[in-house]
Amino acid sequence: MKLRVLTVAILAVALAVAASTATGATRSAAGPASKQATTLTVWLQNDAQKGWADTVAAATQAFEKQHPGVDVSVQYQQWGDHLTKFDATLAGGNAPDVLEFGNTETVKYSAAGALADLTSQKSTFPNSGSWLKGLKDSCTYNGKLYCIPYYAGARAVIYRTDFYRKAGITSVPKTLSAFVADGKKLMKTFGKDPDFSAFYFPGKNWYASMAFVYDYGGKIAYTRKHKWVGGLNSPQSIKALTLLKSIVRSTSRASLTTDESHPYPSIVFAKDKVASFIGNGWEWPYTLDDKVGNPALAPVMSAYPMPSHIKGRYMPTFLGGSDLAIPVTSKHKDLAADWLKAFTSTASMTAIAKAGNIPNTTSLLKLNASDPKLAPFAEAAKSSWFIPASPNWVNVENANVLQNMLVRIFTGRASVKNATTDASKQISSILNQSA
Amino acid sequence: MIERAVAAPAARLRAPARRRALRLGTPYALLAPAALVVGAVLGYPLYLLVKLSFQRYGLPQLLTHHGEWIGFANYTRIFHDAQFWHVLLRTVVFTAANVSLTMVLGTLVALLLAQLGAFMRLLLTTGLVLVWATPVVVSVNIWLWMVDYEFGVANWTLTKLHLGNFVHHDWFANSLSGFGVITAVVVWGAIPFVAITLYAALSQVPEELHEAARIDGATFAQVFRRVTLPLLKPIFVILTSLSIIWDFQVFNQVWIMRDQRPTNDYYLMSIYSFVESFRVSEYGFGSAIALTMVLIMLVVTFVYVRQMVRIGEAE
Repeated sequence: MKLRVLTVAILAVALAVAASTATGATRSAAGPASKQATTLTVWLQNDAQKGWADTVAAATQAFEKQHPGVDVSVQYQQWGDHLTKFDATLAGGNAPDVLEFGNTETVKYSAAGALADLTSQKSTFPNSGSWLKGLKDSCTYNGKLYCIPYYAGARAVIYRTDFYRKAGITSVPKTLSAFVADGKKLMKTFGKDPDFSAFYFPGKNWYASMAFVYDYGGKIAYTRKHKWVGGLNSPQSIKALTLLKSIVRSTSRASLTTDESHPYPSIVFAKDKVASFIGNGWEWPYTLDDKVGNPALAPVMSAYPMPSHIKGRYMPTFLGGSDLAIPVTSKHKDLAADWLKAFTSTASMTAIAKAGNIPNTTSLLKLNASDPKLAPFAEAAKSSWFIPASPNWVNVENANVLQNMLVRIFTGRASVKNATTDASKQISSILNQSA
Repeated sequence: MIERAVAAPAARLRAPARRRALRLGTPYALLAPAALVVGAVLGYPLYLLVKLSFQRYGLPQLLTHHGEWIGFANYTRIFHDAQFWHVLLRTVVFTAANVSLTMVLGTLVALLLAQLGAFMRLLLTTGLVLVWATPVVVSVNIWLWMVDYEFGVANWTLTKLHLGNFVHHDWFANSLSGFGVITAVVVWGAIPFVAITLYAALSQVPEELHEAARIDGATFAQVFRRVTLPLLKPIFVILTSLSIIWDFQVFNQVWIMRDQRPTNDYYLMSIYSFVESFRVSEYGFGSAIALTMVLIMLVVTFVYVRQMVRIGEAE
């Protein structure tokens, strides 16, 4: 009897001690930090590290000249887990002062009140009058501005001019049916090599897959009577995905169970086994990189916007992009805004555009149009689609609903109809969940 | 208090009673510092986990640091989720397969170690220790390269050996073969611990017992089953329980091999819990899944632990 009482007592003491040390730890951690020199913590995605690290450094230098004594610590993050890490820092009270979001991720955090309201300062940001509409929309929630457009990317078909010529293709396809016919020609000419793909398409590439759906008039989801309804099982969507399945099965030898970054299609393309793939603007310089790509491909590489099934149109491309936000927890919101101004200046944007991206302002788009490496992507961006504007959307992405569906379709594990019906049900249920 | 009341009438028993109390109390006093540390390191997170599992705790709650009490709603949601039951079944089968393979192969390696000469034993032990010392993230990535779809050495070798056309063979296209690869990685990483521990235990079995059995005409298999196995039973029980606990929680191997975005046919309990909490910022629901997982594991290991205690009593 006594023993049991003793054990319970020890445990109780242990728990009490544990509880008090834990709360004490958080308090003391916050204390000394504010006394030291001010450090502005910036989280950018590693795309910047790979593509325009010099621009980041230049902006930081300009900022530090303006604010002596303030240190900027730029920490590069991965797309796979940056939000998990951000959630953890929110819980721990050490969230960054500036944070990059994918433009599909901003709505959830704006709606939850995690981002600082920048509406009143909007005009102080460079080029704020001519921001790209698609990005500005992703930063606007209930009429208020919660982030700053950073850059966008559109996808186009990157292809090998020499392979196309050898297969007897004299001009780039202007309709989807011509695109399919060209794929067959390429497979006939080169397909004996088991590694060759006329159109390299990893099975989980949902951005490119949904472009087919939107081209045929389908939708991922739409609203009816204030409720979300999943739309992937509509006749239009099913038609589009059935066509895509046949294209993938007959002209691609990419894995059906990996996504468009494992490996990057450009890496396979650089190995002479791929005639074309759907790629982002930044994948062009990546393909020619002397470490991960093949610089010798420069003279035989080109790009064209993916054609629509309707003659004279382009297939809508996903207008992907990034925004920059200041978390509501930041203690240095004014400094953070100043760093953002330096980083989104016209000079920075020019450099970011040259790295293969679409800049955040329409005033610089002529820069893209005049560069043959960037023009097809800027052209493709004229017709675009975007994800359903719901704060819950990112949960659909993170629950891998679309990837699961695509893998089931392409591997033949489920019929297009069954796979799309399951996915639609799941999407409706996630989007209609109350926060 | 009660003890004193009982002890009072018999005054002459008091002194021995006090000595007894002291004798009984000393071990606990000595245990106290360790108990405090364990309580601080394990107790508090566990308490938070239990608390979270009864709350709605999403992004808005994360910002205000205040959860919203919702009773058992998270738990009812789990038990009404058809996916949960699929995942549970898959995890149980996966654990059973992995634990059996680990134990069988580990035992065989241990027996081999006992038979080998000094040099070969050193070589094998070094190999085992190296496997054991390799960080999981590193070893999983190396395995992933080996079974890579485009450039993997596994596909290349199998094709060159004319064992079939493995050009562009996707090991993860069907989840059975995918889990085959994952099982290989998990078992490969778990064998060293089992083998080395069992070898250490084997070396404690007096050689005379084996010799006597052999003189009586027992075969190798009989010696193992009738002499070695009963003597090593406690070790086997501990190793099996530990393996169950480890394999039930396998996360890294699946997570890394499926590029941090496993499709739902690759969900094990740990992945399910992580995706449902961290990926969608629903920390209350995720905690409830994690806690359910711990409870299931307790039930499973309870059987083993009870058996272990019984063995102790029998001796």
